[in-house]
Amino acid sequence: MSNLTTFPNAPQPTAAEIRARKNVLIQFARFTVLNLKMIVMVTKGHH
Amino acid sequence: MTRTVILGAGIAGHTAALHLRRMVGKEHEIVVVSPNSKWNWIPSNIWVGVGQMTVKQVTFPLAPIYKRKHIDFRQALAFELHPEGTIENDKPYVRIRYTDEARSGQESDLRYDYLITATGPKLNFGATPGLGPEGNTWSVCTAGHATETAKAFEGVIAKLKGGERQTLLIGMGHGTCTCQGAAFEYTFNVEHELVKEGVRDKAEVIYITNEERLGDFGMDGMNFGHKGDVIPSQTFTESLFQERGVKAILSAAVEKVEPGVAHYELVDGTKGVQPFDFAMLLPPFRGVDMQAFDRDGNDITGEVYAPSGFMKVDADYTAKPYEEWKASDWPKTYQSVRYDNVWAAGIAFAPPHQMSKPRTSPNGTVIAPAPPRTGMPSGVIGRAVAETIAGRIKHGANAKVHTASMADMGAACIASAGKGWRTGTAAAMTVFPIIPDKEKYGEMGRDTKATYGEIGLSAHWMKVMLHYLFIYKAKARPFWYLIPE
Repeated sequence: MSNLTTFPNAPQPTAAEIRARKNVLIQFARFTVLNLKMIVMVTKGHH
Repeated sequence: MTRTVILGAGIAGHTAALHLRRMVGKEHEIVVVSPNSKWNWIPSNIWVGVGQMTVKQVTFPLAPIYKRKHIDFRQALAFELHPEGTIENDKPYVRIRYTDEARSGQESDLRYDYLITATGPKLNFGATPGLGPEGNTWSVCTAGHATETAKAFEGVIAKLKGGERQTLLIGMGHGTCTCQGAAFEYTFNVEHELVKEGVRDKAEVIYITNEERLGDFGMDGMNFGHKGDVIPSQTFTESLFQERGVKAILSAAVEKVEPGVAHYELVDGTKGVQPFDFAMLLPPFRGVDMQAFDRDGNDITGEVYAPSGFMKVDADYTAKPYEEWKASDWPKTYQSVRYDNVWAAGIAFAPPHQMSKPRTSPNGTVIAPAPPRTGMPSGVIGRAVAETIAGRIKHGANAKVHTASMADMGAACIASAGKGWRTGTAAAMTVFPIIPDKEKYGEMGRDTKATYGEIGLSAHWMKVMLHYLFIYKAKARPFWYLIPE
């Protein structure tokens, strides 16, 4: 018996989401947002 | 004048050394003891392991940095701790054995006023027969291991291009492993390279893990806040596995690895075998097996160190069931339970318990992911300990004690899923706090506004940026200290 698991019920990204994940302009904006999120996290982490 | 000895030059030890040097005058000696001559930015080893970076890009020699910073560097392995000195001389010391070419094998005693143990983990390949580069699997735990792994992976690609089908098994090599994040990253970097090489259709990529569910990461899973909704890290991770066609074996304890076959047991007691052509399985960690002695020469290792070999610090080590675990069990100051001039930073401290629910198979096999202590908390802890010691040096025993509890600290993690300026992908995750706190945040255990996950090219750029930023910082270039841990 195979114990290999697949995840057919897992939600899949739409075609638009996949395009957005690779779009340089959108990703540049996300990069800025991510940096801000990280800065907030770093600030919370330092005492 | 004081002497602070720091055992280990990884993220925690190196961070502590540089900050302490900045905070106290040069009349106070700082000695770093590390068996390795080079510093390694370990998060990028996964890229070395797929041939996308070289050892030179992820390591640099420590000696020139320490010389420039007036830090005494001893390339040596510490193996005995004498925190009370001897009857003749009560000044504490550590016994070290040099590993550099000039003094290889020579032993000496290093006296100290303050000691930071930041020795990281021992890669315990021996826990699973056949595990590791000297056995039947590859590793990306060190830059050297990753280079060898990349060569083997190159061979797999050549076979795939030759029309041979290949099975690649990646994940955890034991039931108590940690660092699921690194295995996750390596899995998807391998998959990404197979796609790039045009051979993905001939390869089966399998992730084997001790996690009960994907997205657990040894942190009991996470719940990401997203547009007013909550997405479990399980859904987030399963989605990526399905999208990229990676299969998984969950709740598994690898028991032994023979050439081309991994034997494992599932949490329900079922035994299984998984054939492979290429396997990269991470080892479990344990402490570096230092021994401790009191002033009379009696062995006090069991009082200073936990059975796992990690140092006991100001945590609550009372054995209790998962349901009774509290965030407050976790240490704050990282000071030794027995000696107030000894601290353990980074992976070297003994955690009070796991974060994920530990499980045992009917055969008694423990399947319990160990808690991860990644770069960010290790650096923050190293810095906090350095600040405490600097305060002691400047203001005496009543100086402020700095704290860095993982129960009160957030972490940011970028998990690469493929390298490339335009084709790369990574999962950016933030989590707050690292240790789930159900008293404060309810069943979710964490602040879902601050706990967040996103997949995309931007996260890959971020991982690349952090690579260069942290190597800049570790090299103590101008204004390095402005870069947070």
